[in-house]
Amino acid sequence: MNARTIRFTLNGGPATAEIGTHQSLVEVLQQRFDLFGARESCAQGLCGCCTVLVDGKAVSGCLFLAVFADGAHVETVEHLGAGERLDPVQEAFIEAGAFQCGFCTPGFVLMTRQLLDEKPDPSDAEIGHYLSGNLCRCGTYPQIVEAVRLAAKKRKA
Amino acid sequence: MTTTISPGGQVGRSVPRLEARAKVTGRAEYVHNLRLPGMLYGKIFRSRTAHGRIRRLDVAAARAMDGVQSVITAEDVRRVIPDPYYGPAFHDQPILAIDKVRYVGEPVAVVLAADPHIAEAAAHLIVAEYEELPAVFDEREAMTSTAIVHEVLRPAGTFPDLKHLEGRTNTNIALDFHLRQGDVEAAFAAAEHVFEHTFRTQQVLHVPLEPFVSLADATPSSVTIHTASQSPSFVRIEIARLLRWPENRVRVKTLHLGGGFGAKLYIKLEALVVALSLLARRPVKVALSMEEQFYTITKHASTFRIKSAVAKDGRVTARHCEVLWNGGAYADIGPRVTQKSGFTAAGPYDIPAVSIDSYALYTNLPPAGALRGFGIPQLVWAYESHTDLVARALGIDPLTFRRKNLLRNGRPQATGTIMRDAEIEAVLERLAARLDWNRPFDRGAGPVKRGRGIAIGFKASIAPTTSIASVAIHADGSCTLSCGTVDMGQGSDTAMAQIVAEVLNLDAEAVAVIHPDTDVTPYDMATLGSRSTYHMGNAVRLAAEDARDKIAALAASLGLPPGSNLSLAELFRRKYGMQAGTIIGTGSFIPSYSPPDHSTGLTENATPFWMIGATGVELEVDTETGHVQVTRLVNVADAGRAINPRIVETQLSGASIMQLGFTLFERMNFDKGQVTNASLADYKIPGMHDLPLAIESEFVPAEQHGGPFGAKGVGESATFGVSPAIANAIHDAVGVRLMALPLTPEAVYRAIRAAADDPLGEA
Amino acid sequence: MTPFEFVEPASLGEAIALLDPDDVSTRPVGGGTAIMLMMKFGVLVPARLVSLRRVEERFSRIAVEKDGSLRIGALATLRSIERSSEARRVAPVLADALLRLSNVRVRNVATLGGHLAHADPHMDLPPVLASLGAELVVAGPAGERMLPVADLFVGYLETVLKGNELIAEVVVPPQQDRRAAYVKCTTRSADDWPALGIAVSLAVSGPTIRDARIVLGAATDRPVRLAAAEAALAGREPSDALLRAAGDAAAAIELVSDAQGSAAYKRQLLRVYLGRAVRRALAAGPGAGEARQ
Repeated sequence: MNARTIRFTLNGGPATAEIGTHQSLVEVLQQRFDLFGARESCAQGLCGCCTVLVDGKAVSGCLFLAVFADGAHVETVEHLGAGERLDPVQEAFIEAGAFQCGFCTPGFVLMTRQLLDEKPDPSDAEIGHYLSGNLCRCGTYPQIVEAVRLAAKKRKA
Repeated sequence: MTTTISPGGQVGRSVPRLEARAKVTGRAEYVHNLRLPGMLYGKIFRSRTAHGRIRRLDVAAARAMDGVQSVITAEDVRRVIPDPYYGPAFHDQPILAIDKVRYVGEPVAVVLAADPHIAEAAAHLIVAEYEELPAVFDEREAMTSTAIVHEVLRPAGTFPDLKHLEGRTNTNIALDFHLRQGDVEAAFAAAEHVFEHTFRTQQVLHVPLEPFVSLADATPSSVTIHTASQSPSFVRIEIARLLRWPENRVRVKTLHLGGGFGAKLYIKLEALVVALSLLARRPVKVALSMEEQFYTITKHASTFRIKSAVAKDGRVTARHCEVLWNGGAYADIGPRVTQKSGFTAAGPYDIPAVSIDSYALYTNLPPAGALRGFGIPQLVWAYESHTDLVARALGIDPLTFRRKNLLRNGRPQATGTIMRDAEIEAVLERLAARLDWNRPFDRGAGPVKRGRGIAIGFKASIAPTTSIASVAIHADGSCTLSCGTVDMGQGSDTAMAQIVAEVLNLDAEAVAVIHPDTDVTPYDMATLGSRSTYHMGNAVRLAAEDARDKIAALAASLGLPPGSNLSLAELFRRKYGMQAGTIIGTGSFIPSYSPPDHSTGLTENATPFWMIGATGVELEVDTETGHVQVTRLVNVADAGRAINPRIVETQLSGASIMQLGFTLFERMNFDKGQVTNASLADYKIPGMHDLPLAIESEFVPAEQHGGPFGAKGVGESATFGVSPAIANAIHDAVGVRLMALPLTPEAVYRAIRAAADDPLGEA
Repeated sequence: MTPFEFVEPASLGEAIALLDPDDVSTRPVGGGTAIMLMMKFGVLVPARLVSLRRVEERFSRIAVEKDGSLRIGALATLRSIERSSEARRVAPVLADALLRLSNVRVRNVATLGGHLAHADPHMDLPPVLASLGAELVVAGPAGERMLPVADLFVGYLETVLKGNELIAEVVVPPQQDRRAAYVKCTTRSADDWPALGIAVSLAVSGPTIRDARIVLGAATDRPVRLAAAEAALAGREPSDALLRAAGDAAAAIELVSDAQGSAAYKRQLLRVYLGRAVRRALAAGPGAGEARQ
């Protein structure tokens, strides 16, 4: 009972993994699927480095038991821009210079995606509400806000 | 923002980071991601005692746990590394605690297992018993305490000014630095006014979001270390020393770093993973948790007593500075902080008589090292708070007072070194202009009062240090740069590529920059102290020029006239008859430098360049709660000539935001040496809601002679002025002065109540 | 973290049957955010987790009942409450409070039942729900019982629930013309644990506060009613002087000193923020709140 098989959709394709009940989603994504875009940092759901979309909703992969992913649609940052073109959010982050060390960037990109999916034309307050749960120790926040505004424009174009 | 684009069109251009696509797609390479076949995970068992003799260490239960490969103690480490003490300044830090522990969180044993969960569970089964020893935590007490952290001092021998400490006993002083310029006593005796204040800073943490991680893969005759390190060359030298191996058997590789800020310097986990891999005969990875970062390296708490003599006309005639640095249980690079920062402790002012005493102290706290500013933010906090207090006491406007005393180019700094290419005046004037200092200022209404403040600081570069680079031109004309500078987010890969591209007339985007790998990339002292743009930038420029000269020589050898426009690929084809060959250009750079005299601290060449940063702040104080809202934060710096203006601007705003956290709320709390807030739930760093309402960053037009294309380092400059500018603005708003960081709402509110002669009770 | 048995009952009844009041190593788990934190830090090493994620769908529903009360299933995520038009219609203060509760990712996963049962005094909704007069439907082996939210908490991380009782639903009574507000005061970063949280619900007749329910969170080991402040406000017209007096009355209680501030300082914050919270509630207007966010 302490191990089980989970079946889920990962970045658009079917996925199966034998996991321990105690394993977190971010751990399983790294160890079983070699996806490192979601990465554990604070281990408390506060920094956003481990952000993953589960059924279209952003979650902290470090606080999300992998067993909960059974039957779900899981999307990681690697799925964005997997084709020729980057996602408009990714393009905007590059154009605005909205990262430095880059460790927190996938989390910010995914949170911005969720923000713009729900609020295509976000106010400053809404940008704050969605992104205040992501930390950037390099302090790139002003450029990130600029990137979010730019991404909103790009998605409308 | 003034920028000039160079003739080649590469320097001065805001090139997007070379690794931009990799970073936004989550595919950037970090050591964090790395796994090797057969790899074991190490989980550290740590001391829970601040100072004690190890009486018993029982690892039997951990060893017996299913899935545990082995449990390693100091005794085991000694089988592969007989003298397992490391450190850049002192060989004082054991790989695992030997005989005694010196701080809570010190590594005592390690469990190895293929499953990190098992390693962690087993580590919980280890039991240690200690005989408690008296401990010392406060840097002021450490000066005279009978609790002695290290029985005997063991300087590493790298630094001449530490040699006199060899073998000393019964002291916690790990370095005393002294500077004596002019007749300080006479100046104080003759002074119209004398002002003396004491300022303190708290212990804070770097918090790179990628916690420390190192992985070693050792054989009996060689070892490869993959590590998130800012100083791969130092790691190689130090590991080779510990193993008594030649350097060529030790290979150190880094990838992108998820932040560094000075934390990932010198040796952190590298000696440990090497010992573990040698013992286990398998690759071993140790990846710290966020909590464990709090037990690894911190920023010095400090106490700074500053005393100034001021003449009737408002000129500062003498200054005495005494700075105590709380270095924690192991020296790390603390003694360098003490000396390198020490000599600028009197500030960017033209003061004829200066005396400075700066002391590095051992205590029973987690070790302190370099953190974005190398001690300078602690000093600027004190001298710029003091500057405002003096100006206020004399009834002189703080800007006017600074102008009157400012250290200008052509004048000697306290060490005697003549200032050059230090745009202190331009930076201050630009800040004043941006703040529109002479306009009437709205002071607020009701319980919310408004205030503004400025502060300016400067920093010398670390010297003398060496950087070496090589540039390879491949047979198709493409180009690869090999340099040991570690890109931890500051954008060095991109800036270095721009320098190569400028020399070789390429697009910066076309230059490949390889990650540091000591088997491949030449020596570099380290990525620290904003030294890379200047030092490595020069080495890279020389390497590119050398490659360019060799290309010209090749063309000449083929009988081509100078200025021939034959493509590089065609040149190689003509020379070698096919697509073949490589041209390698090399560059080596070490600036000139004169070490300070040991007794006076004086030198005519203290630094290859100066970094200047000033910050202006406008803020609101809620007088009923003490809450401070910074409404505007303006950073102005001298960056020389910016190689990549956008990255420079981002470094400035980012540094100021980091310092904002250290100023307003970040603080490691301790209970008998135990950190009580070792997580991001309890140790808060700035998020998006904590920003000033407006942040502006700019660099003044400047040129650093001797710098590559006139450039110099800028990664720390916007940390300098933030803390005192905010304290000065709070004083301006509500008339109270805070002498210790952080400037929490409670501290502000208590000061307001105390000033009203109605102090708030303790409980 | 070490492996554990993981069971996923299909009904709340089955889940209750799997719990044992005498076995602390078996724990129910909803979104699992708090449980994961405790397991990661080694303070919880369960032998078995009983997942509530597959129980009847009605325990995730948010609906306005015929009598105007708001019924929220305990498995509803905090974010679904924040975005629910039903919840906003009855108690707009919930969405307001949720916007500053942890972050979007945690709210996407964490459930209302877990948020309450965790009994961490720093949580924001306990004082808010208590001030609204909300009640819990508590399910156990013997069936269901009603329990006022205000009576749930015994102390730090302690509730009156037995080991085999679960919060099934939360019922917020109709608020009629009451006006509510929640003020969260942090003293370090904006996303810090609150130094204190003040939930206010007022009934207002013309210029007069008919009655006030005020609940303080975070500064004590569990949410507490500020009866003295309520009494000071009842039947009065709000003025600066009255709010100061109410703040002073509130600040007479014992508070906890911690990293967010000393008790003395928190008393000052309470004094000041009580009035600010009342002002905000008065400004919020009665009944259905406007669409926010």
